Amino acid sequence: MGGVDVGGDGGKKRATNADINMIPFIDLLMVTVAFLLITAVWVTNSRMNANAQIPGPPDPQQEVTPQTPEKILNVDIGEDEFTLTWKQGATVVSEVKVQKPTEPGDPPRYPDLAKKFETEWNANGGHKDPSDQKLDQAILHADNRLPFKEIVAVLDALYAPKREMKIGAKTEMIPVYNMTFSVR
Amino acid sequence: MSSDRFEANKKHNPHSHALHKPGKRLMGKVPLRFVWKKVAGHGSRSPNANLNLTSYIDFLLVTVIFLLTTFNASGQVRVDDTIKLPFAENAEDVVDAPMVAVNSNTVFVDGQLAGSTRAIEELGRMQKVDELFVMLKSRRENWKTLQPDKPFPGVVILQIDENVPAIVVKSVFQTAAYAGYPNVSFMVQKTGGGAK
Repeated sequence: MGGVDVGGDGGKKRATNADINMIPFIDLLMVTVAFLLITAVWVTNSRMNANAQIPGPPDPQQEVTPQTPEKILNVDIGEDEFTLTWKQGATVVSEVKVQKPTEPGDPPRYPDLAKKFETEWNANGGHKDPSDQKLDQAILHADNRLPFKEIVAVLDALYAPKREMKIGAKTEMIPVYNMTFSVR
Repeated sequence: MSSDRFEANKKHNPHSHALHKPGKRLMGKVPLRFVWKKVAGHGSRSPNANLNLTSYIDFLLVTVIFLLTTFNASGQVRVDDTIKLPFAENAEDVVDAPMVAVNSNTVFVDGQLAGSTRAIEELGRMQKVDELFVMLKSRRENWKTLQPDKPFPGVVILQIDENVPAIVVKSVFQTAAYAGYPNVSFMVQKTGGGAK
């Protein structure tokens, strides 16, 4: 136990060696540790990124060079199938259909679609180098009445394939696609 | 000589076979040697051991300090009771950004009313939600006046109920983009990875 020793008693009546009771202090520390550990596990809210792809103001420092348009993956959520179309400008590069599972579950899950997104990226993805800071663009075409959880399920599948990307000195695993909604 | 005296005593005292000087009998059957030593009074160490707690307290203090420094309250964002967030696996940590909450009836920005979900739904086409646009734009301008030398991150987080139709999601998404927030994030509940 902790205590304070101030030497001899010097003839006084009361002892000068006081004992500090450490048990409440240890209790407090234990409760704090338990609280912090439990609340660390509670954190369940997360976010999924999307980008509206708004062009910024033109940079006068940068020379305008005519670029060939990038390949963009168009994801169409249909009634009973997903259509994945790679387009370069207006030209269709490839088109693949994935059957929607009859029982997607609650919350809905599309693992087959996630696998297809990965194979499609391996075949047609344009940004694969770890030093490449850009991501392949995916445009989501969804019916106006489609519930949000279905959109999130497709987004979840879209963000399942990941690649390495150098951010500063570190290399992190980043989803290969960046999503935006189609404006129509 | 001694046997004579013993026999003589026995003759004088008829109860001598039952009465004799008691020995140390207490807990004589306990098999543990150290307990027997203590009971017999041969032990040299006190049975009250003093534990040195200093190292234990040091360890606890270091753990508390470590947990406090790594504690990240960013995930502890309050979500309205009327909103049931969808579940997803491949999600990132929440960042500090304006929150747009969308339930089946209304749209809120940081707890303030910013439009009606029903009105967007009834119109049936993508539109700019004017109130939401004004509120987000004023927030963006406030941020720029407060921190003029930093680049604006343009992140807004949408807390959308899982049953809200896509038309509302798209309208809110586009409104946020028009108001200068191109990086729109959807808040979800993370599944897998130990949590829930």
